[in-house]
Amino acid sequence: MTMAIVSAKGVSKWYGNVIGLNNFNMEVRSGITGIVGPNGAGKSTFFKLLVGTIRANMGEMLVMGKSPWKNPSQLRGIGFCPDYEYLPADLTGVEFLNLAGGLHGLSGQRLASRTAEVLRMVEMTDARDRRMGGYSKGMKQRMKIAGAILHDPKLLLLDEPLSGTDPVVRKELIDMIKALNKDHGHDIIVSSHVLFEVERMTHEVALLYKGRAVATGDISEIRGLMSNHPHHIVIEGQGLVGLAKSLLDRPFTVSVHLWPDRSGLTAEVSRPDELFDSMPSLISETGCQVDSMRSLDDDLESLFKYLAGW
Amino acid sequence: MVRYSSRKLLLNRRWILVVLVAALVGAVMLYTANEGEGTLDQGSTLLNTLVLSFMLPILSLIYGASMIRNEIDDRSITQVVTSPLDRRASYLGYYLSLGMVLAIMLFLIGLVGWACFFLPAGVNSEALEMLLSYSFLLVLGSFVYSSLFLAMGVVLKQPIYLGLLYAFVWEGFVGQLPGAIGKMTIIYYLKVIGAELIPYGNITDFSNGVGVAAVVLLGLTAVLLFAGAWAFREKELP
Repeated sequence: MTMAIVSAKGVSKWYGNVIGLNNFNMEVRSGITGIVGPNGAGKSTFFKLLVGTIRANMGEMLVMGKSPWKNPSQLRGIGFCPDYEYLPADLTGVEFLNLAGGLHGLSGQRLASRTAEVLRMVEMTDARDRRMGGYSKGMKQRMKIAGAILHDPKLLLLDEPLSGTDPVVRKELIDMIKALNKDHGHDIIVSSHVLFEVERMTHEVALLYKGRAVATGDISEIRGLMSNHPHHIVIEGQGLVGLAKSLLDRPFTVSVHLWPDRSGLTAEVSRPDELFDSMPSLISETGCQVDSMRSLDDDLESLFKYLAGW
Repeated sequence: MVRYSSRKLLLNRRWILVVLVAALVGAVMLYTANEGEGTLDQGSTLLNTLVLSFMLPILSLIYGASMIRNEIDDRSITQVVTSPLDRRASYLGYYLSLGMVLAIMLFLIGLVGWACFFLPAGVNSEALEMLLSYSFLLVLGSFVYSSLFLAMGVVLKQPIYLGLLYAFVWEGFVGQLPGAIGKMTIIYYLKVIGAELIPYGNITDFSNGVGVAAVVLLGLTAVLLFAGAWAFREKELP
């Protein structure tokens, strides 16, 4: 078992009455780790604590064994790509990297060769002399990543790097992030509010919800939790009384609520896939007519609520 | 750090404002020289009133209060605070670049005014000495006011309001009042030093005590720099 590069124990952070992280516990090891959660889950707060721009109100946050708050030397080993726009619009890409490199103590030939190398890595060599105000969203994301890896950090923090990009750019960025880990050896923590995007980069995932890590580990374990997540399925049609009775005999059914006008029913099931698989036989057995079927809570928000026990 | 923040200051479009201000000062001084006698006393009074007493605190406020505050607001401060520099050193870098850029701008404004006033009638050694003396005061004042307004920009969310109140009411109005209250302003001590260097115009109204003035300005700058750097280091940047 490798040493944790990030360790959070009982970390809480609040902004006035708003809670960013709430008794947050997590360990991150080498490789790529995905942080998934809806907006407001605490992903950005987590990253800001890691780079020491804010401090925890309670608990202990360690990055490579040291607290990041008021510890600037720690930042030699960390590259940070935030989720917000901060690139100076009137600078060219190469001017921005020269300024960023200067802040990290790079200069002269070393800076020039590293800048050229990083521009190649993010495939921005052709746009190096263009002003960044004219860059597309995908180019800006690449340049932000270039600024984060310029000083060759051990740990790379990418906060929502895919947000606002089109599918083609998203695929290119995902490939690039995987290559940064595989070919260049950076450990990466990457956040997103879309689980399948993170899944394409890594199998090591943490789900955040309302400031807590509600599930961490291999994606297959989390998929298991998801499949056990009770779903409310609404079925509308005619002759549904027989269907309701048959559903109650099935092991995956938790409860069935038949609407007073018999035009529909709401079934709570523990394994929705089994319900969907058995629907053709259920319809044929009971002779009912199904006009529509939909899940009331087939989204990440309801999964997070379930995992958080709310 | 100094190069980084100097460049950001110089790229700022507020340069247009500075050019307009320099043109205004030049026009006023040229007009006065043509309409009046063009004496050393008159030239000194104009440089004191227009540049030292007015432009110096106002430009220092505009550039100083917004320097770090704007970076916090547009989040470009991320680049600085996620680099492996002690924030106190970064703050010193901001301060040095602000002081230098302000000093250069104010020197150029003073130079334009001086040239418009004295060049048409011919320059003598006294006029040249006056230019050097005012330039020294402007450079000194730039670094003192920078320490004040830069710290204000770190501590306050809307530093421009308190800064305007301070620059106009405290430095501009209170600083003109007779008695001990006037000594509570930065401009008073700059003028005390100026009175020692420039024997012309209304700046000579200020009593002697150049040593005390220098110590007060140096001490105040050091205290404000220390307080600003401490506040910047302790500041959370969500």
